[in-house]
Amino acid sequence: MRPLHRWSALALVFLMAAAACQPAAPLAATPTAAPVASPAPAETPMAKEPIRIGAPFNLTGGMASIDVPAANGARLAAEEINAAGGVMGRPIELLIRDTKTDPATAATVVTQLIEQDKVVAVIGFNDSDYVLAAGPICQRAGIPFITVGATSPRLPGQVGDMLFLTPFGDNVQAAVGAEFAFEKFGKTAYLLWDKGAEYTTVLAKYFKARFTELGGTIVLEDTYQSGDKDFSAQIAKVKALPQQPDFYYISALPDDVGTIVKQFRNAGITGPIVGGDGYDTPLLVQVAGPAAENVFFTTHSLLTADSPNEKVRKFVAAYKQKYGTEPEAVFAALGYDAVYVLAEAIRRAGSTDGQAIKQALENIRDFPAVTGVINYSPQSHIPQKGVTVIEVKGGKFTLAAERVPQKVPAP
Amino acid sequence: MVASSARWKWSWALRALLLLLLGGAYLAVARGGNAYLERLAILFLINLMLVVSLNLFTGLTGVFSLGHIGFMALGAYTSAILTLPVALKAVNLPDLPPPLNSFALPFLPALLLGGLIVMIIAILIGIPLLRLSGHFVAVATLGFLIITRVVLINAEAFTRGTRTFSGVPPFTTLGWAALWAALNLYVAWRVKHSPLGLQLIAARDDPWGARGSGVDIPRIRQIAFGISAFFTGIAGGLWAHFLTAFSPNAFYFSKTFEIIVMMIVGGMGSISGSVLGTLLVMASTEILRNLEPGFAIGPWMFGPLYGLSQIGLAVLLILLITFRRQGLLGDQELRTEAIAERLALWLERRKATVGALRARKADPSSS
Amino acid sequence: MSMIGSLGFWIQQLINALGLGSQYALMAVGLAMVFAVMRLINFAHGTVMMAGAYIGLLLLQHGWPFSAVVIGAIAGAAALGLLIERIAYRPVRGAPDVALLLNSFAVAVFLENMAILLFSPRSRPFPMPALLTQVLHIGGNLFLPSIHLWAFGSAMFALGALALFVTRTRLGLAMRAAAENPTAAQLLGIEIGKVTMLAFAIGSAMAGLAVILWIAHVGTINPTMGFEPVLKAFVACVIGGFGTIPGAVLGGYLLGALEILLQGFLPSGIVGYRDAFVYGILILILLVRPGGVLGYLEAERV
Repeated sequence: MRPLHRWSALALVFLMAAAACQPAAPLAATPTAAPVASPAPAETPMAKEPIRIGAPFNLTGGMASIDVPAANGARLAAEEINAAGGVMGRPIELLIRDTKTDPATAATVVTQLIEQDKVVAVIGFNDSDYVLAAGPICQRAGIPFITVGATSPRLPGQVGDMLFLTPFGDNVQAAVGAEFAFEKFGKTAYLLWDKGAEYTTVLAKYFKARFTELGGTIVLEDTYQSGDKDFSAQIAKVKALPQQPDFYYISALPDDVGTIVKQFRNAGITGPIVGGDGYDTPLLVQVAGPAAENVFFTTHSLLTADSPNEKVRKFVAAYKQKYGTEPEAVFAALGYDAVYVLAEAIRRAGSTDGQAIKQALENIRDFPAVTGVINYSPQSHIPQKGVTVIEVKGGKFTLAAERVPQKVPAP
Repeated sequence: MVASSARWKWSWALRALLLLLLGGAYLAVARGGNAYLERLAILFLINLMLVVSLNLFTGLTGVFSLGHIGFMALGAYTSAILTLPVALKAVNLPDLPPPLNSFALPFLPALLLGGLIVMIIAILIGIPLLRLSGHFVAVATLGFLIITRVVLINAEAFTRGTRTFSGVPPFTTLGWAALWAALNLYVAWRVKHSPLGLQLIAARDDPWGARGSGVDIPRIRQIAFGISAFFTGIAGGLWAHFLTAFSPNAFYFSKTFEIIVMMIVGGMGSISGSVLGTLLVMASTEILRNLEPGFAIGPWMFGPLYGLSQIGLAVLLILLITFRRQGLLGDQELRTEAIAERLALWLERRKATVGALRARKADPSSS
Repeated sequence: MSMIGSLGFWIQQLINALGLGSQYALMAVGLAMVFAVMRLINFAHGTVMMAGAYIGLLLLQHGWPFSAVVIGAIAGAAALGLLIERIAYRPVRGAPDVALLLNSFAVAVFLENMAILLFSPRSRPFPMPALLTQVLHIGGNLFLPSIHLWAFGSAMFALGALALFVTRTRLGLAMRAAAENPTAAQLLGIEIGKVTMLAFAIGSAMAGLAVILWIAHVGTINPTMGFEPVLKAFVACVIGGFGTIPGAVLGGYLLGALEILLQGFLPSGIVGYRDAFVYGILILILLVRPGGVLGYLEAERV
């Protein structure tokens, strides 16, 4: 029994040491590890009680490469809003929490944010697994929840009237992708998708539905698993087709698009490759290089430093200045927009009451966001916005089209 | 030696205290109105079931199963398909074959069916796999975990594939979780101290000797595997009706690792150790997680350090394996009798020391 | 389907299988090296690969020439391997296999999360010289990425060099002796500690080499990139026979061929089940021939 005592003492010391580290005074959206900050001047809005917004993201684990840019974008927006005087004269305090790519942790964290931290609203997550684990908790508590990047159009129906989406639904961008490619490239397509992720699966299904409805034919359909990095077997199947299709629709996650495009081009497949907003990452050109030419994808807006849209230019510059890198994926812009649209709703509601914020959100019309113009309504918590089609030309993203789908597949 | 009556008295006092504490904790969480604590408590009970059932197999046989989270997944999906309301089935699972699409079961039968189906699967795969020796069972069960995931992703008519399975009724309450965890603990305790348990331990410690004395090792391992899988499946069902939405990604390596760490920390083969291990790991994870957004030690501020809880847990595990490989309790149990005995001994010794000190003080010349 | 009948298609898939198999073989060799001496399935092998990749990227960003980057990644991986051996494995030498396995899990979790803290979880491009990324178009519709040749050459070189090392050099012989019978080896004056360190250094250096070739194929690196490779290496070792270097190499090729064949020939309705078939075959091999195709380990049955 003796070693037991020694061990339990050790465990106790460990727990006590952990408990001795007091959680720091809430950092009002300034997460830098600075020595104790000097007290804020009294005349700034920081002196007033902050408006607390929960921001759960999967900052570690498999979703991290997608969620970290989103959290960074959200943090940037909160800092800008606070620098400009906050909302209703009060600063925004963004409580960014890591949910470890684990739905159970997501649910626990959101419960804690609502119960203990008394947040007035929640923004976060880029995948339905976590939205659907956390959403019902917000719904029951009457707390508005804006998902940053989950794009399944069925989410509001699954969670309830407290849930809003920042992006358009996948059915909208898939429809635009299908219509655009059908008109521009032709009636035959090859379809490849990642079977290990919801976004890629749903996008591929909607694309197929709309494309075949238009009269197009999928000549070959193939899949891979998240984590696969070698696509040579799939490529060999494409090359063995008696006739190459008019274009290749490949539904992939941001981490994989560069690799896939590179390997397809290396094998001598030169036709147009079409995809969704997963392609909206600098990795596409960085990894695939000249191979990224003749790639088209649907996304929210042209996110480049020389965009004609001033809001976008400002965002890209501010992001680069703060984080030393261009926005890694479109999720950075969506995180930024989620905070801005929420702040606008709180301002219009003039209150931090959940129902009031929700109603204010439902009345948002023509809100100019980085990822397009956001419209909500009581009937639709998915923003009705146009879809941007981007073409990679000369190693740069260029605007190919801006359109609204003629017909959207049912969610 | 301490008088046995004193030991007996202390033992019962401890048991009463333990029961009182447990009852108090249950009431405090159930009636306290703190949803955060309640969630943690339910999660603790479900994790406890996973750890105890894994320990029931791995601890008693010494054979590592890396596939138990696969059983959890199967239990979760089976019970969730059974309880999903018919109207939701039409929307979420339009291709669900009849008669599954035309009825919804109440919670308890769905849970039990989930557990039973998982148990049958475990027994079937156990027939070939459990004939292998240690290392190979670990590899084969790892294969089972991966195959389970692939099947769940592809059997879209039943699972929606990688798309989130949602709309599961939130049936799992603290009461249900506590009831099942208690039953699981009781069964595990009875199995460990039954002839079957003794045979398993004998086969673990000395397979040749056990076989020599007529123990059919694959058969007894299969029984342990089946019981273990049943409760793991039930835990999966409870988890599904607790979270209400999930996808195959939830049941993979990180969950497997988490459960194994809890078991190792508590001690392989120790049921009370599993309770301590689950508690310690969950408590330290939760404390570290709450420090991640930023914390101060004296004048120094740290943070944000996302990932701190995983790093802390990894360090804890390395330290533990280095300095106390057998975990907190090894394969021993915390018994009230043993604690009572130590307590009584300690009191007696203390009395003696205090007496001696007093005597010394009274007589300063003796120093 | 008609396309499956064409000879070109078969040859192309054969090239693909050899290329992917070479990559897996290189990953598996390092894992097998450590297993042979320590009976440890070193799950941290993948995170050592990841660390090698980041070391390489840092050197590249500092303007080092590519050859120096490769050497730096290999040396860095070897040094990290030694450090891990010192901190996490040496203190528990002689512990049951399971304790070591769990420690390797813990090391993997630790390193992965440290990398997330240090480098952020985002994927980064890893520019490679054209020598590694160009594609040779050989007759008809066939294509041969040069990385396949590099990987094949490296795998053969590793196999040959390691085979020579363990059969012709004193240290190598000592290592083999330690692998086959540690107690007897110790009695003969072989220092198990030194041999173990050597195995770790070589195994981790192999991880460094493997990761450079893997990145040339993939193009990006991130903190979680080590997970899939270590799983593949592990499966390759089991298929080929755990603890032997020829077994690891053969297992790598068999796994590569299996994946390519299944992906290439399963109809699209069930091609999603590819990995279920792969692991089903793995379990079958365990049941029929637990020592692997080339394994000398006679699995004890109970």
